[in-house]
Amino acid sequence: MAYQTIEVTKMTPHIGAEIGGVDLSRPLGNQQFQEVHDALMEHLVIFFRDQHLTHDQHKDFARRFGRLMIHPVKPRMGVDPEITPIHADENSTHVAGEDWHTDLSFAAAPPMGSILYITELPPVGGDTLFASMYAAYEALSPKMQDFLSGLVAVHDGEARFRLLGLEPRSGDRFAETEHPIVRAHPVTGRKLLFVNQEFTTRIKGLNKVESDALLHMLWRHIETPELHCRFRWRENSVAFWDNRCAQHTAMWDYFPQRRHGWRVTIEDDPVHYRA
Amino acid sequence: MAYQTIEVTKLTPHIGAEIGGVDLSRPLGNQQFQEVHDALMENLVIFFRDQHLTHDQHKDFGRLFGNLVAHPASRHSPEGHPEILTIHADESSKHVAGEEWHSDVSCDANPPMGSILYLTEIPETGGDTLFASMYAAYDKLSEPMKGFLDGLTATHDGEPVYRGRFGYTPGDKGFPRAEHPVVRTHPVTGRKALFVNGNFTTKINGLTRLESDALLQMLCRHAETPEFHCRFRWQKNSVAFWDNRCVQHHAMWDYYPQRRHGYRVTIEGDRPF
Repeated sequence: MAYQTIEVTKMTPHIGAEIGGVDLSRPLGNQQFQEVHDALMEHLVIFFRDQHLTHDQHKDFARRFGRLMIHPVKPRMGVDPEITPIHADENSTHVAGEDWHTDLSFAAAPPMGSILYITELPPVGGDTLFASMYAAYEALSPKMQDFLSGLVAVHDGEARFRLLGLEPRSGDRFAETEHPIVRAHPVTGRKLLFVNQEFTTRIKGLNKVESDALLHMLWRHIETPELHCRFRWRENSVAFWDNRCAQHTAMWDYFPQRRHGWRVTIEDDPVHYRA
Repeated sequence: MAYQTIEVTKLTPHIGAEIGGVDLSRPLGNQQFQEVHDALMENLVIFFRDQHLTHDQHKDFGRLFGNLVAHPASRHSPEGHPEILTIHADESSKHVAGEEWHSDVSCDANPPMGSILYLTEIPETGGDTLFASMYAAYDKLSEPMKGFLDGLTATHDGEPVYRGRFGYTPGDKGFPRAEHPVVRTHPVTGRKALFVNGNFTTKINGLTRLESDALLQMLCRHAETPEFHCRFRWQKNSVAFWDNRCVQHHAMWDYYPQRRHGYRVTIEGDRPF
């Protein structure tokens, strides 16, 4: 794809590109917005360096792609419900996203994407890995693709969040939802694998032994390095992932050092697919 | 089913029955033969107590059900009886036959219809054999999984089992290897049975290695579900006759260094479909 207003440097054949020539603190022009969106659709996760964003600028950029989502976990810090602090230090007992996952896949409409802005980080460590669920689907055998295409999986927020001692912002429990195991991306139309080990608890209609065996196989499959890119953060880097077709996992290999930033999460609303 | 010439006592709801009223050393009458066959079809594995068989009588009984086949490991045959496989374990054994769940010789294009094992020496305790119904194993899979497996075939390879064991050396064509449906239809009963086993089945064809390994491990674990099993406690001169098309079995080697000894004949089978 030819870009005129941004520079796009691919990280791997399947996923990830660094985007140059954009200042996210200023409103994007129509063409530049379109090209950033195109780059996201093409590369699944895009990265920007040396950005300097206020919360409002961070949210304004995200709003170009959809409505902002109120994160369903009851906040422990921060006051703006549209911005989730991402923080780890010497007191942390866990960090967000230590296993491969899709953000909030237990929601009836999981997020379209998330934009993470890291402002403090250790000199080394704290990388984030991203995996293409298009490539994961395509690397399955045709027989397995057909089999999975007829199946539905259960995603439960309790499965992970409750274990971590997190509480829902409202109600007694996190949501439990069913999603097809193979989805078509609403913009690209490409088929993708949609189960993840943080929230997917079982495949409907199968026995437990069958469901466990298949899910474990798929989770292991998703760990295949050919499906991945690995992003090395610097201070003031931004990562924007399409949560519908990319999973990610955060390395917590820098304890007790501090890593800090902010995330904005975008609702998956068809009206905004092509704003 | 009502039997007139034999007594049939079930061991479990799914599999296994002890048969009384039959002397296997003598030719069976037509009706008794038919009822023994019916009992085998109904119960998948049948057991006889206090039998006294010469090698020839053992073979004659086996031949009522089909041609006898020499086992690939038939080096262990009594002199002059290549169709008989000696089953033996003692203080010098490093392994015994059938220590894992398996279907006999499923690496052959036409795996055996069944086997008849006659044990003449057993330890005081131990050495039981477990049998598992592959009808029940199939029936208990979920409907989506049945639908998926119904269309698949698997590779059964003799090499991992036979290489370096039983003194077996491969022929010109190498070790036996065959492809069979993952779900086979029993040629007599018409019932569907799961037909993969941990011993011989190396992969499900058309799947990636990761997919195939995960499914085979799940299916082999599923076949270990105790509800599908019966456990036969041998006595001296007991006979077990299993239908190899719908049964897997597993020999306990929990009596080392004691001695266990007997003979097996194997009956030719058809190509699975």
